Amino acid sequence: MKDFDVIRTRAHRLDTPDKATGKAVYVDDIDKPGMLYGALLQSPHAHANIISIDTSKAEALPGVKAVVTSKEAGSIKYGVSPARYDETVFAIDKVRYVGDEIAAVAAISLEIAQKAVALIEVEYEILPAVFTIEDAMKDGAPQLHEDFPKNLCAEVHHEFGDVEKALAESDIVKTTTVKNKRQDGACIEMQGCIAEFDRRGTLTLVSGTQVPHYVQRTVAMVLGMDIGKVRVKKPYVGAGFGIKASANPMELACCILARETNKPVKMNYTRDQVFKLARARHGFTHTITTGAKKDGTLMALKHECWLDGGAYSSFGIATVYYAGSLLGGPYKLPNMKYDGYRVYNNKPTCGAQRGHGAVIARATFEQQLDMIAGDLGMDPLELRVKNMMEAGDTTCNDLNMSSFGMAECIDAVRNGSGWDEKKGKMPNGKGIGMACGFFVSGAGYPIYRSDTYHGTVIVKLTEDGGTALVYTASAEIGQGSDTAFAMIAAEALGIPLENVRLESGDTDMGVDLGAYSSRQTLMTGHATKEAAEHAKAQVLEVLSGLLNVPVEEMDIKNGFIEFKNETPDITDIRTRYIKEHRGWIDNPDSEKLTFKEASRMAFLEKGSIVGTGKYKPHLLGGKFKGAAVGTSPAYGCSAQVAEVSVDVETGQITIERITDAHDCGKAINMTSVEGQMEGSVSMGIGEAMHEEVMFDDKGNVLNNDLAEYKIVTSMDMPQVDAVVVESDEPNGPFGAKEVGEGAIMPTIPAILNAVYDAIGVRVFELPLTPERVYWAIQEYQKKAG
Amino acid sequence: MLLPRFDFHDPASVQEALDLKKTYRENARILAGGTDLLVHLKKDLVSVEHLISVTKIDELLKIEEKGGDITIGACVTMASLAASGLIGEKLPALKQGAQSLGNHLIRNKATIGGNACNASPAGDTLCALLIYDAAVILQNSEGAREVPVSDFFVGPGKSCINDDELLTGFRIAVPPAGSGADYIQLGKRKSSEINVVNVASYIEIDPANQNILNARIALGSVAPTPIRGAKAEQVLAGKTADDTVFFEAAEAARRDDCKPIDDFRGTAGYRQAMIGVLTRRTLAAALAQAQGK
Repeated sequence: MKDFDVIRTRAHRLDTPDKATGKAVYVDDIDKPGMLYGALLQSPHAHANIISIDTSKAEALPGVKAVVTSKEAGSIKYGVSPARYDETVFAIDKVRYVGDEIAAVAAISLEIAQKAVALIEVEYEILPAVFTIEDAMKDGAPQLHEDFPKNLCAEVHHEFGDVEKALAESDIVKTTTVKNKRQDGACIEMQGCIAEFDRRGTLTLVSGTQVPHYVQRTVAMVLGMDIGKVRVKKPYVGAGFGIKASANPMELACCILARETNKPVKMNYTRDQVFKLARARHGFTHTITTGAKKDGTLMALKHECWLDGGAYSSFGIATVYYAGSLLGGPYKLPNMKYDGYRVYNNKPTCGAQRGHGAVIARATFEQQLDMIAGDLGMDPLELRVKNMMEAGDTTCNDLNMSSFGMAECIDAVRNGSGWDEKKGKMPNGKGIGMACGFFVSGAGYPIYRSDTYHGTVIVKLTEDGGTALVYTASAEIGQGSDTAFAMIAAEALGIPLENVRLESGDTDMGVDLGAYSSRQTLMTGHATKEAAEHAKAQVLEVLSGLLNVPVEEMDIKNGFIEFKNETPDITDIRTRYIKEHRGWIDNPDSEKLTFKEASRMAFLEKGSIVGTGKYKPHLLGGKFKGAAVGTSPAYGCSAQVAEVSVDVETGQITIERITDAHDCGKAINMTSVEGQMEGSVSMGIGEAMHEEVMFDDKGNVLNNDLAEYKIVTSMDMPQVDAVVVESDEPNGPFGAKEVGEGAIMPTIPAILNAVYDAIGVRVFELPLTPERVYWAIQEYQKKAG
Repeated sequence: MLLPRFDFHDPASVQEALDLKKTYRENARILAGGTDLLVHLKKDLVSVEHLISVTKIDELLKIEEKGGDITIGACVTMASLAASGLIGEKLPALKQGAQSLGNHLIRNKATIGGNACNASPAGDTLCALLIYDAAVILQNSEGAREVPVSDFFVGPGKSCINDDELLTGFRIAVPPAGSGADYIQLGKRKSSEINVVNVASYIEIDPANQNILNARIALGSVAPTPIRGAKAEQVLAGKTADDTVFFEAAEAARRDDCKPIDDFRGTAGYRQAMIGVLTRRTLAAALAQAQGK
């Protein structure tokens, strides 16, 4: 094993002092002199034509500084994927869901802004609305977007190998359908932003976003500005989970209000508005048919999926691809067919959420694997071991597993949970279940078609030589990326972590596609490593000249210069360094030459030492249409075992324990890896057990707060035994890859399989509320007589 | 989600509070823990010109046992109720209710008077107040009156409290030896829950022959107010306490006593079925307690 000094430790996070003392600054903590407050007018109707908008009363209200509608905002369409730009900042002639933006007001107080919003008069012609996939697809159903007949937003048809033939050759063929419900990301921090123009026309947008880069591009496009005149900065952010991975209409409205008023404008979503914006997990209906041989060998997978998309596309095109492509692994599966459909309707728009597109597909498939194992009389864990992929394998849809610790993950949860002692031996009402999964370590391609670098990083050494400054446009959103990159820079430079400072989340610092698709550790990590190595090389080059020692015979480790062969005389350098710092008390007296001295010498010779780094993935496989979605330079994989008890009289499930193993390549920060694993389990349990966005028959969200939308509380969280499995990823910086999303994959199916083990009842609809489980048990008992 | 504008009053005594209530009547709302009222104000569900805060009035913060009665001040918080040794020992179902409400943060603010005045059919302490046959103490500037808690709730969010009155506390007779009580609430998750169904049961037995001397059952979230399970109580009257009679009582509670509706928290059918399960379970636990187990 390689010898590391900084990474693979449990370093304290850089943001801990700020967050632990409450000093961390989030958007809403920021005030600007002369700042105005913005508020949005959103449609109260799910589907209506706009006949007229009268803003005169709102404009007349004292304290109101601007009222803007599509007249000011224009008609430029934007969205996530350029192939489906289908949104405008404000509705032009029609609204498509309860919450569609119509106008915005800036005023000297939030109270006045809200009052003014209520004074805007809109005349609507109410249109019939559709809220389900079935209704939206009916002949003659109301159409949301002219260009998309039958409200079909996107469809995907893929076949690899020959599925029908392989199914015919299978000894066992199983078909099931699983349905989930729409989720909400439930980020603790609701979206907020402040937009401000300076006197030279430069716009700065401070926003709680995961993706400063994409927000910058969208703002520039919609406002018709040069990208260089738009700066997007991200302060501390209270989570994203995918919901904040694209520009939102409030950010755009805020920029337009700032332009119209020439003042800084702040806007925030309320929790209700967060539910209206949505952009979280789709509602999926998966029908999967799997064929296997008697010995458990998987032969083929036939898969149809319908996505309840909502009013606009958002990430939906990628979602419908991911829902199919990410069943290609982690098992050897020579034949796979996928038909996916995403359907528009008059509800809020779904988008990307942790485990993008793949979570419910995974749940459906992993539950089915258990059913097949049951029919074959095999231990479901053994069925998975038999079929799992290994490092170097490529899926039928061209995803290459350059490292893959699946076997180690399964072993870890088998031993950690006591699987062999428990499986099949638990009393009635108690059960154990397992599942596996894998996920991309960064999307192989940017959201817009481009040869751009996915990340650039600058490492600058301070003139005294003692500190390295890391500048990255990446997004720390609570996951710990700042700390990871500071650790990578320290490791690559050969200096202690405390000698690294880091600034991030600002588009002026470079290009970084942001915190989504579990990309930053691998991609920004690569760029950081390269930038640090570049700075290090410059220092060693100067030192080589001064000491007359070849560069390749020197190294930097723990802040000291190491010489492979004979240690040269360092007196001249030390004397020179100390002379420049008369009166300083921290002059070096170590036997070894310090990095500080060497770096100071480099500055004296060359001026600022600046290292630059960049990253984009190598050419990734797949020539077929849609191959880009699912490709990645690396894949993380995981296995989990859930232990549950079920109260058969009430349907209440208690999750007693989760044993979780994840292969993240080399762990940069061990504690952060475990944190991501535990967070994934928590989100997975919420989705499995009680999360569900509910609507009335007019398209209003019924449970639009965190009292009624039920995320996991600390009281619901079981003990989680997180086992970090470390492979060595050849395409990752220091061998690292993802953990943020892959770790959620097995949670839901492991619980479903454990519930079956406990009570013998299969449930095919989520969430597993006590009521749903109760009725499933009732039905089962009725059938059993 | 901004609070509307209102005048805020912070009286130091019950008398001062009553004077304010007399002056402003229906234009004033009493603010105790605020865990319901402030949310309703922010969501624009209620309007108010005057808020009278009563949390600084010392006499509303007391729990006392005197002459066979326990009195509980209206501003006693859920956290204090749950931590009170006296309540835990003598009114265990009330402790369970207080412990079940919301989460730690909410329990530190929410008060028992507020829980009663909010009059939610799902209120966590209300079933316990019903089975302990609590008296609600209402005062106006003229004097005090007591109302049995079973008459206090009028509808969802509505009680019989008058515009000039303040709920100052509850009086509960200390249950005799040979009695026991239990409370169970059922929701989708284990904390921060709004109940799908909740049930409390009280039972008093003759230790010589296990005959039921007295039984009270309260059902939550299955009618416009928390209700007594009258038919179920009739089934129990005079019978010998055992699983069979508890099952019959649970059937009566499920079939005859509750009138649940479908809403987004659960269907009527599930609520009804759970009334049966929880009635049986609370009776069994109450009996075990009565038997000193």
